[in-house]
Amino acid sequence: MQKKILKYIALSLLAFVFLMPFIIMALGSLKEVQYAQVDPLFWIPEEPSLVNYINIFEDGMFLRWIFNSVVITIVPVGSQMLLCAVLGYIFAKKQFPGREIIFWIFMAVIMIPQQLLIIPKYIMFADFGWINTYWSLIVPELWGIMGVFLVRQFLQNIPNDLEEAARMDGANDIQVFFRVILPLSVPVVATVGTFSFISNWNDLFQPLIYMTKEEMFPVTVGLASLLGKEGNFGIEMAGSTISFIPTFIIFLFFQRYFTEGIQMSGLK
Amino acid sequence: MRITKRSNLSVKERLKREWNRNAIVYIFLVPALIHFLIFQIFPFGFSFVLTFMDWNVIGTSEFVGLKHWSAFLSDKLAWKAIWNTVLFSIYYIVPTMALGLILALIINSGVRFSNVFKGIFFLPVVTSFVIIAGLWGWLFNGTQAGMVNFVLGFFGIETQLFLADSGQALMVLAGLSIFKVSGSTMIYYFAGLQSIPKQLYEAARIDGASKIRIFWQITFPLLKPIHFYVAIITTIGSFQIFDSTFLLTGGGPNYSTTTIVYYLYEQGFTSLNLSYAAVLSYVLFFIILTISLIQRKYLGKDSAIY
Repeated sequence: MQKKILKYIALSLLAFVFLMPFIIMALGSLKEVQYAQVDPLFWIPEEPSLVNYINIFEDGMFLRWIFNSVVITIVPVGSQMLLCAVLGYIFAKKQFPGREIIFWIFMAVIMIPQQLLIIPKYIMFADFGWINTYWSLIVPELWGIMGVFLVRQFLQNIPNDLEEAARMDGANDIQVFFRVILPLSVPVVATVGTFSFISNWNDLFQPLIYMTKEEMFPVTVGLASLLGKEGNFGIEMAGSTISFIPTFIIFLFFQRYFTEGIQMSGLK
Repeated sequence: MRITKRSNLSVKERLKREWNRNAIVYIFLVPALIHFLIFQIFPFGFSFVLTFMDWNVIGTSEFVGLKHWSAFLSDKLAWKAIWNTVLFSIYYIVPTMALGLILALIINSGVRFSNVFKGIFFLPVVTSFVIIAGLWGWLFNGTQAGMVNFVLGFFGIETQLFLADSGQALMVLAGLSIFKVSGSTMIYYFAGLQSIPKQLYEAARIDGASKIRIFWQITFPLLKPIHFYVAIITTIGSFQIFDSTFLLTGGGPNYSTTTIVYYLYEQGFTSLNLSYAAVLSYVLFFIILTISLIQRKYLGKDSAIY
C-alpha cells in the first residue's frame, strides 16, 4: 500500500514537471509584467489581469497572424483528409498498371528531408510569384504521402465484401467511395486530419522562408519575432497561450487518433 | 459494316464499364501524380543541378562545376555544424529512448488514470517548438532569474550560464528536444509492451524472478525491434534539428549550436548563397539516406514490428 502511494506521488511529480511549462505559460499570460524578473516565481499573478491579451490584440498584427495560420491550416487539413482517403483507397484496392512502382517511389521520396526541397521550392515559388502568398504554404500540402500510406494500411485490412455488394447494386466508382469506403475510413481519416493540423499549425521552417512580410506571418513566425525582443514576457505568454488553444482542443478530442497514427506509421 | 459497328459499341461499352469501375483512379490519381512531380520530384532534381551552379536570385546564373562541393569539403564551419549535429544526437537519442521507455512502463503498469498521464506526457509532442522554446529560454535563463538556476540554488549549485555557455547550450537544446519528443517514443514503447504475451511474465513470476530481472531478461530484449525503430527515427529527427537553435541561440555562442540545418538556413536564406545551401542539403540527405538504408537492411521491408 505504502509502495503504491509512493508510486503515485512520483508519477504526479513527473506529470507536474511535464505540465510546468504550460502552467507558467497560462499563469504568466495573466500577469501584468513586461520583463522577466529576478524572482523566479514572478509569473504567479496575485491579481490576474487580461491586460496582455488586450495589448496583443490591439497590436493589429497578432489577429492577422492567427488568421493566416487558420488559412494555411484549415485548407490543407480538409484537402488532405479527402485526397489522402481517395488515394489511400486507390493504392489499397485498385488495380492499375504501375501501382506497385508508384507506391515504391512514394516510400522512397518520403525519405527526402523537407529541408532539401525548400531551396528549389523557394526558387520556383519566387518564379510563380508565390512568395508572401498563401499558395506557397497551401498548394504543396494538399495531400501527403504519409496520409496516403496510413489510409492504404488501414483499408488493406478491410474485406472487399461491402464494396462488391454496392457495385452489385449498380453504384459507380465515385458512389462506392463516398457511400462505402469513406464512412468506413473515418478513424484513419481523423488521424490524417489531426496529423495535418499539427504539422501545419506548428510549422516554422517553411513560412519563415516563404513569408517575408510581417502581415503574411503565421502565428509561429510571428511569435518567433516577439521572442527576440526584450520586455515582452507577458505578451509572449499571452500569444503562446492563444496559439496553444486550438492545438489543445484538437488534442483533447483527437488524442486517440494521434497515438494510433503514430503506432500505425511504425508498421512501415 | 455491321462488325465494325458492333466492335465500336463494345469499345464504348468497355470504356463505360472501365469508367464505372475505375473512374476514381483517373480523376484523382492523375492530378496527384502531376502534383507529386511538380512539388517533390522536380525540386529534388533541380536542387541537385543547383549544386553545380552559381544561382543568383536576380540576374544570370552560371555553371561552375564542383566549386561548391569542393568549397564544402574545406569549409571548417560546415564540418563543425555536422559535428555539432552528431553531438546533439549523442545528447538526445539515448535519453529520449530511455525516458520514453520509462514513461511507457509506468503507463503500462496498471496505474489509475493512465490515459490522463499518457495525455500529459504526450502534450509537448503536439505543441509547437515556438511555444516550448519561449518557455525553455526563460527556464534556462543563464542568470538567477532562471527557474532552473533557482532550483539548483537550493542544492547549493552556483548559477549556470546555460544558453550563453558554448559548452552547455547544445545540451540545453537537447533537453528541450527530449522534453518535446519523449512522449512519442513512449507511444511506440507502449505499443511494444502491450504486444508482449502476458504468459511470459507469469511464467517468470512463478519461477520467482525479481521485477528487475524480468525487465532485463524478458521485457528489454523483446522490445528489440522497437528499440531499433525508435533509434532510427530519433536519429533522423536529430539530424533535422533547426527550430530550437533558430529560436534560442541563433547558432551561437561561438557556433556551438550551429547545426546542419541551421547552417543551411543561414547560407541559403541569410547570405542568399542558395547553391551552397543546396550542397549542404544534399549532405544532409546522404546522411539520412545512410541511416534509412541501415534500417532497411536490418529491419527488412515487410517485417511488421508489432
